[in-house]
Amino acid sequence: MRRSHEPVAWSLFGAGGMLLAFIGPGLVLTTALLPWLAADDPQATHAAIGALLAHPLGKLLVLACVALPLFHTLHRIYHGLHDLHLPAPRLPLQLLCYGGATLLSAVTGWWLLQV
Amino acid sequence: MHKPYIQRQRADWWLRNPAYRRYMLREATALPLFLYTLLLMSGLFQFTRGEAAFLQWLEMLRSPWLLALHGLALAAALFHAVTWIALVPKILVIDTDRLRVSPAAVKLAHQVGAVVCNAGLLLLAVLLLRAAAGN
Amino acid sequence: MTETVTVRVQRYRPEEDTAPWEQSFEVPYSEDLSILDALNQIKDQQDPTLSHRWSCRMAICGSCGVMVNNEPKLSCKTFLRDYREQAAVTVRALDNFPIERDLVSDISGFIDHLETVQPWLIRSEEQPVSAGAYPQTPEQMQRYAAFSQCINCGLCYAACPQFGRDPAFLGPGALALAQRYNLDSRDEGAAQRMQWLNAGEGVWSCTFVGYCSEVCPKDVDPAAAINRGKVASDINYAVNLLNILRGKDDA
Repeated sequence: MRRSHEPVAWSLFGAGGMLLAFIGPGLVLTTALLPWLAADDPQATHAAIGALLAHPLGKLLVLACVALPLFHTLHRIYHGLHDLHLPAPRLPLQLLCYGGATLLSAVTGWWLLQV
Repeated sequence: MHKPYIQRQRADWWLRNPAYRRYMLREATALPLFLYTLLLMSGLFQFTRGEAAFLQWLEMLRSPWLLALHGLALAAALFHAVTWIALVPKILVIDTDRLRVSPAAVKLAHQVGAVVCNAGLLLLAVLLLRAAAGN
Repeated sequence: MTETVTVRVQRYRPEEDTAPWEQSFEVPYSEDLSILDALNQIKDQQDPTLSHRWSCRMAICGSCGVMVNNEPKLSCKTFLRDYREQAAVTVRALDNFPIERDLVSDISGFIDHLETVQPWLIRSEEQPVSAGAYPQTPEQMQRYAAFSQCINCGLCYAACPQFGRDPAFLGPGALALAQRYNLDSRDEGAAQRMQWLNAGEGVWSCTFVGYCSEVCPKDVDPAAAINRGKVASDINYAVNLLNILRGKDDA
């Protein structure tokens, strides 16, 4: 039997799952309420988020909040599609899910460097 | 006579037992949470394009479709948090000669931590945005 | 007049059948009647051609596993009284295993997987018998005690959709037993068992459905054992990666 490379995917899935359990509901509620929270002075909200994104730690935090959930959710979607008997070979599906998570994370990192 | 009947798994296996349906529901939380993450990315993208674009994105969040996505994502995040933390003590076992923590304590610590972090994040966001608007 | 219960039993006779079918029997009901008692009543009084496995009648031999209303159960430990509100009780051969005849499953796939993980004490150097037993404290025993309760009944394999999908998956019972020896202070074989845990057919086929632990008649909790095995395999992967970077061979 050959060594599986699943530990890489599972570690990122686990980190994302833990992050979502600890801040997922709070984060979703925050963005759901954001237009109303910002209604008095939207420019101030823009400035506050700008301050967060300007700080290297803020960038890192936002990257974690996007990249880890991406790896978490696409890992589950990949295995879910297999569970549903999707008639597709594993490799292209892996490329799509984990490659997609990697690409979207890289794009997010790039955008974070722009602000 | 040796002619065993081979049972093959049907594609709808997960519909046939409540335990499997619960499992699939847990895995399905990934779908709204994935879409929600894309929404976060779109907000960041609009932010890179300048203040006007970002404020437009902020207004767009009021749309019923995106509120529905938020509702679905909130339900998914809550269900995920509950089911995730229920499994943590099975994986995180602290049982050495020097330190021993019961599974119930591991679970409780994660539950308290999750409630504090989630409520704390929401509170922090509200307070910071209020303070920013007050300036 | 005696009250009766309808028991629908799956039949498969390789000589004449191409697929399993269902046969209904009426069994006299009593409060203390187990599914196994009902099957024995049918075989003794109604249809001697019915085939099913059993031995100890007390949930220790592990040979009477069947699906009762779609749930893997030991028929000796499952009672008709718990299905009173249902119109009928349906008894089938265990899911995911080939059916030899009627309720008799071929669980050799599971037994082969058990042997693969070397479920015995492995020592780098065997002590002579004259040296006495390998001592162990009660605390050390407690770390693996639950995982050592397995009676090889195969219910967890019938409960596992990943084994149902791919019979090459070592599965809950074998991986729980691997963990049972890896956690034993007297054992020195964890390093050589890692190769099977690390494989795609090892712990990494598991998606933590968790149903194996729900159906286990001995509370072994194989899902917990496998997922602790994932942590061990994860660490092993990282250590191997570091070793490769240091110029050592890929293990």
